[in-house]
Amino acid sequence: MRSVGALLCLEYAATVYAASGEASRPRGVGPECTLKPNANNVEAHIRVLACSRAPFSPLLTNSPPVAKFYKDASTFSCISNPSIILPLSRLNDDYCDCPDGSDEPGTSACSHLSSLSPHTSADHSRTGSNISLALPGFYCKNKGHIPTYVPFTNVNDGICDYTLCCDGSEEWDHVGGVKCEDRCQQIGKEFRKLDEARQKSLGSAGRKRKELVLEAGRLRREVEDRLQSLGAEIEGSEMKVKQLEAELVEVERREKGKVGRGPVQKVGKMGVLVGLAKQRSEELRETLARVREERDASRGRVQELEGVLMTFKEEYNPNFNDEGVKRAVRAWEEYAARDKGPEPDAAHDRDLDAITQSDKDNGLDWAEYESEDGEESEAVVLHSFETFLPLSLRTWLDTNLRTLRTTLIDSGILADTSSTSSSSTSESKAVQAAHSRLDAARQDLANHHKSLASHQEDLASNMGPEDIFRALKGQCIATDSGEYTYEFCFLDKTTQKPKKGGGHTNMGNFVRMETVLVDEDVDEKGRGLGKGDRIAMRFEGGQHCWNGPSRSTLVVLGCAEVGEVWRIMEEEKCVYRMEVGTPAVCDLAGVGGGGGGGRGKEGREGRDEL
Amino acid sequence: MLQLNASSSRWTAFFLLFLALCSLLTPAVTVKHENFKTCDQSGFCKRNRAYADSALSTSSWSSPYKLEASSVRFDKGLLTGIVTKTVGDETIRLPLSVSFYESGTARVTIDEEKRRKGEIELRHNSKARKERYNEAEQWAIVGGTVLSKGAATTQGAEKGTTRVAYGPAGAFEAVIKHSPFGVDFKRNGETQIKFNGQGMLNVEHWRPKIDKPVPEKKEGEEEKKGGEESAEVDTNVVTADDEGTWWEESFGGNTDSKPRGPEAVALDISFPGYQHVYGLAEHTGPLSLKETRGGDGKYTEPYRMYNSDVFEYEMDSPMTLYGSIPFMQAQKKNSTVGVLWLNAAETWVDITKSSSSANPLSFGIGATTTTNTHWISESGLLDVFVMLGPKPQDVIGTYSELTGYTQLPQQFAIAYHQCRWNYVTDEDVKDVDRKFDKNKIPYDVIWLDIEYTEGKKYFTWDPMTFADPLGMQKQLDEHERKLVAIIDPHIKNEGNYYVVDELKSKDLAVHNKDDNIYEGWCWPGSSYWIDCFNPAARTWWQSLFRYDRFAGSATNTFIWNDMNEPSVFNGPETTMPKDNLHHAGWEHRDLHNLNGLTLINATFSALLARSPAEVSHPIRPFVLTRSFFAGSQRLGAVWTGDNQAAWPHLEASIPMLLSMGISGFPFAGADVGGFFGNPSKELLTRWYQAGAFYPFFRGHAHIDTRRREPYLAGEPYTGIITQALRLRYALLPAWYTACHEAHVRGEPIVRPNWYVHPEDERGFELDDQFYVGSTGLLAKPVVREGQLESQEVYLADGERYFGYFDFEGYQGPGVVKVSAGLEEIPLLMRGGHVIPRRDRPRRSSGLMRWDPFTLVVVLGKAGDAEGTLYLDDGESFGYEEGAFIHRKFSYSAATSVLMSEDLAATGAGGSKKAKEYLKGMEKVRVEKIIVVNAPAAWKGREEVEVSEEGAGKSGAVRKVGMEWFAGEGGKAAWAVVRDPGVGIGRGWKVAFA
Repeated sequence: MRSVGALLCLEYAATVYAASGEASRPRGVGPECTLKPNANNVEAHIRVLACSRAPFSPLLTNSPPVAKFYKDASTFSCISNPSIILPLSRLNDDYCDCPDGSDEPGTSACSHLSSLSPHTSADHSRTGSNISLALPGFYCKNKGHIPTYVPFTNVNDGICDYTLCCDGSEEWDHVGGVKCEDRCQQIGKEFRKLDEARQKSLGSAGRKRKELVLEAGRLRREVEDRLQSLGAEIEGSEMKVKQLEAELVEVERREKGKVGRGPVQKVGKMGVLVGLAKQRSEELRETLARVREERDASRGRVQELEGVLMTFKEEYNPNFNDEGVKRAVRAWEEYAARDKGPEPDAAHDRDLDAITQSDKDNGLDWAEYESEDGEESEAVVLHSFETFLPLSLRTWLDTNLRTLRTTLIDSGILADTSSTSSSSTSESKAVQAAHSRLDAARQDLANHHKSLASHQEDLASNMGPEDIFRALKGQCIATDSGEYTYEFCFLDKTTQKPKKGGGHTNMGNFVRMETVLVDEDVDEKGRGLGKGDRIAMRFEGGQHCWNGPSRSTLVVLGCAEVGEVWRIMEEEKCVYRMEVGTPAVCDLAGVGGGGGGGRGKEGREGRDEL
Repeated sequence: MLQLNASSSRWTAFFLLFLALCSLLTPAVTVKHENFKTCDQSGFCKRNRAYADSALSTSSWSSPYKLEASSVRFDKGLLTGIVTKTVGDETIRLPLSVSFYESGTARVTIDEEKRRKGEIELRHNSKARKERYNEAEQWAIVGGTVLSKGAATTQGAEKGTTRVAYGPAGAFEAVIKHSPFGVDFKRNGETQIKFNGQGMLNVEHWRPKIDKPVPEKKEGEEEKKGGEESAEVDTNVVTADDEGTWWEESFGGNTDSKPRGPEAVALDISFPGYQHVYGLAEHTGPLSLKETRGGDGKYTEPYRMYNSDVFEYEMDSPMTLYGSIPFMQAQKKNSTVGVLWLNAAETWVDITKSSSSANPLSFGIGATTTTNTHWISESGLLDVFVMLGPKPQDVIGTYSELTGYTQLPQQFAIAYHQCRWNYVTDEDVKDVDRKFDKNKIPYDVIWLDIEYTEGKKYFTWDPMTFADPLGMQKQLDEHERKLVAIIDPHIKNEGNYYVVDELKSKDLAVHNKDDNIYEGWCWPGSSYWIDCFNPAARTWWQSLFRYDRFAGSATNTFIWNDMNEPSVFNGPETTMPKDNLHHAGWEHRDLHNLNGLTLINATFSALLARSPAEVSHPIRPFVLTRSFFAGSQRLGAVWTGDNQAAWPHLEASIPMLLSMGISGFPFAGADVGGFFGNPSKELLTRWYQAGAFYPFFRGHAHIDTRRREPYLAGEPYTGIITQALRLRYALLPAWYTACHEAHVRGEPIVRPNWYVHPEDERGFELDDQFYVGSTGLLAKPVVREGQLESQEVYLADGERYFGYFDFEGYQGPGVVKVSAGLEEIPLLMRGGHVIPRRDRPRRSSGLMRWDPFTLVVVLGKAGDAEGTLYLDDGESFGYEEGAFIHRKFSYSAATSVLMSEDLAATGAGGSKKAKEYLKGMEKVRVEKIIVVNAPAAWKGREEVEVSEEGAGKSGAVRKVGMEWFAGEGGKAAWAVVRDPGVGIGRGWKVAFA
């Protein structure tokens, strides 16, 4: 096993020193460090410390301000505890001397200095209880790519962490014979290619977002315009309602005055009608009785079945987890939880009892009506008589008769047949028409008010920054996951649809917008939420879950060129989380996340930070 | 005792109050008792309990079993003879053998001649075997049965007895009484164990069923003919009940046809002078077993052993659980003895204690307590092994020699396992894997429960959700992580499924009583069960795991065998009918408790034969089992089944795991977090802190629970849980060494107080604190809600103890208070030990392979310390060829030198593998030595002298830095040796003065 290692290069210029040279010392031999000139580099300031175990500079040109702490030629002071002064031989000698770990920028010796590790008094010797690392990690220069910090826990563990350290320098000790070649050229190239695509994609996403903003603005104006026109329409409707109310009063007044306005019928037909009515009534009564019997029988069976299922639910063993049984229990619970419709109503049944008695018992003697034809004709005669009179006389007569009739009605002598109060069937056509016109106008007005309120609410509601989701409202994005297709509709709802067919399951209806703090990966194509605050939509009150709550979904939005569902997870029973990419949130995503492109090296470092 | 009692009763009061509150707050989830038999509902148990009652209540009781003196033969450690049982005119011949083994174990076996010779008739044209089941030994016993040459009959024994001296230096003696038959086992002349001292021996002999007879005589009644004083009415009632269960029994709608009639075996075993008995795993009660015949705080039911899938099992109960080890140890001051009741049929054990003192309050003053046990099995041989100690390790070691030692686990197997029912897709698994890394939480293994399969067909992957299992496992392998996938013994009965097609065509499934394939109901619905008692079935099972057959499995795939009691959803007591037939015609009743063992045995072999390459370079299998029997420890790990996310379950996990530890199956754990239900964050945190001290450490959760991976808990919980996990990882060298001690000597991995301090009577009942291996680490995890101030820890001896984290000093013996904030684990270091650690946090245990060691030297009262380290590649069988490092570290106050000596067995370093291994480990060093309780004389000293063997510089002395720190307040002083740099596998010395 070739041991490259063994050189600590402290370098302040932009030059890279490629470490070479043979294995330093066997383990267990104290560090013997010497200063020697760097043969490969003529720059005066570069010193190479040939000692100990670390090969490359822990801190290269682009490295952060801590470089200055390593300048001193003879000694080193721990960064957070400058009172602790160490000889240079103790730098990177794979033993943790500084309470802040700053003497081991190139090894894992201080990786336990973390609040995540258990500590004993021996660790607290110099630090008290405040244990934290001064350095963000092992510095990978990654020439040809972007420099990063690798967690100290990953240094010399025998694993090439190319995703963090493409130059493989974190495995400089080759433990167990591991060799991590430098892949930065290739990885950097791929990264740049992807980054270019990401940038392009980001640009495109930005344009799309602009379009969405424009569209949202247009839609908003539409709503505002509609609100204006609604105002005018409401005014008109109100006037119309008033007019029609007046008209109705007039029509009613007129109709009350009419005399003998019974239905015009030819004598004789009434008898036939009564006959038919009697027969029909008989039929209906029999049918009703039969239907009731059937209903009672069914009701009994349903009760019995429900009893069976209730016992089944109580007595089945959930441990067996038989899917069939579980499904049945679930379906039963959902059934049992549903609104069962009206309970059997005793009063209703009494009514039915009464109805199914014979007509005669109900006080309706068909025989009476079958012989009543004569009386009806009188009114007809009177009407006919009227038509023979001259117009002026007719008007006079009409007026006086109406007055007389009104008087008689008012005094209770004559029954009111114009029916403002009783059944509408006896209402005159004119009054009916006036009524329906008024009702229609009132309905119109109510609709307009409702529409006004909903548009006002719509305008006032949060549709995201710049109102952007207005442009996407109701639009849906779907993805396949496992045996389901999941669909997310902006500001509307989320749905689960089995691929094998069967009913859709509502996973929640939109309730509000939220902001959530996320810390997620972003893949090489830029898909993923990244880290920071993200806009999210909360959906609640979906289909009730067996053994759980109503389904709900949190949809967290990240920047993407096209709308797509990245991930769908059931975080806990019936509580879902969707991660969705959309151009709508692109400008809003913070640095280092939000997907899309544009996460330059800041983004990368942000992700890799310790 | 007083001190302990005072504190424990206070806690008991709190606990009861807490339980009462809990029962108000949490939805009641309790076991369905009606699904499981009580003794009264199990015919043979009821019959034998009644028999015992008769024996105890009848003053002139005489056991009807006699050893025919003329039949007794003794040759080369084996005594044989015929025990007769006289019932009326009939004499039943029961062949007896008493074996005396080199290991010091004695074994008493009683068979039944007629059944052995097949001179009986079975009812219902049954195709079952006629003999009593005699193959439990083939599964459970693997060693320690060499007959003793030294054992010899003692001349001049009193008339009516045969005496055999045996054991180390002939210190043991078996006194076999002829009439009634009984055996007293003595050590140094003192009786330790008595067989049939109470006359409860009972072998239910074969008899034909006589239809409509005059009331059948029952055995107990036979004897009462002579004893006129027996209550007639009682007898009649008992007789009537008895016969009702001779030929047929129904329970829960299932009828057992019992073609062989009654065939129970039972025996009373007494331990004179022993106050405590332990064992009979697995039960939820205290480590020290309770009495079972009623009374205040005692059980009314016997301990039951009939491996069952007990849904939502209850606390503090003698009910049966998933596995059983019919091994019991009795403890009195400075003496431990044990018995193994080798019987795989349903077994019940009654325990009673009697005190010789008239006044029970004067306990301890001249009084002696005797523990009486009554063992009852439904069928099979009466076969008992006796171990006479005297030390706990003598008994457990002998037991382990007989039944086999714990498998030396792979390193990953003792690291942290992340499980859930279920990670739902391969992407889900990869996501959890990434999140652990992102949160810098170490873990080694992620698990898949049943949902990964396509329609619960094992050896398949759901193509919708696990489209790319190999890609998933590749990602895991990048950080040396493993996958454990579940494979259960029930095979889905569905067309076009090659596994069931082969199972049927090769006729390898368990049969029903009519000898047709048995069909039952389990996760997949209609299913068949592989019969692993059948050698052909095992061969076939092995073939199923080959990489070319179980497509999607990889070299980092390991196996979880669940439901192997077996669990049958529609069977009696959620298992198979007892009259089912296994290979060679044995009835299921005979071997039920072995069923789980046979499955993991087949899986274990399967994992050694997944590819030709692995056959020649095998890695150690990992199989988790739920069901177990004596011997299962050789084949894998076990967990305590489906517990609940409730504090009492966390509390019970510790005595349960301690019980597994002293029962020879120490590689055990409980589901961290609790399987059913959602733990509070405090409970989850405490559970991880406790779980970091389970030998098998796995977080698991039911499908209906919320996700609870450690990184989801939020701060401060996630941070605290991560610390607990990293503590486990840092101490892996100590845990691995403890596993090795279990592997070579059968020592428990976590050890109860009585095991470590058998001289300390006050600690015999202690089961909420324990030692980790022989490291001197003494842990008492917090298992109660809201206990955030301190924890009382009992110190058994006069040694000095120190807080693991703060070096706070404690002086034993007695109870001390140890700080127990939510972020703290009460953990002490006993003086006199050396604890090996690896302090660098890594992503998985595999990535710690090349890390340096830290040695914590804890100086005791005498100023000395000693400890060991066992290390190997953690995965292969290379250790069998010497590829390991085994060191003893010792510090002597007299010389002020810490030295590392080789403990390697002969041949170490000799083989090629050994050389390769040691070469690979050459650079792995000791980076730090922390001396706790360092002498004040070291103050101001800045150097120590290090000398190391080998490396051509033999004898060369180096000086390395040392710093001494004064302890403040009650804390011990400590010193740190800075990078001694000595090889972990080499001999070296560090001189402190």
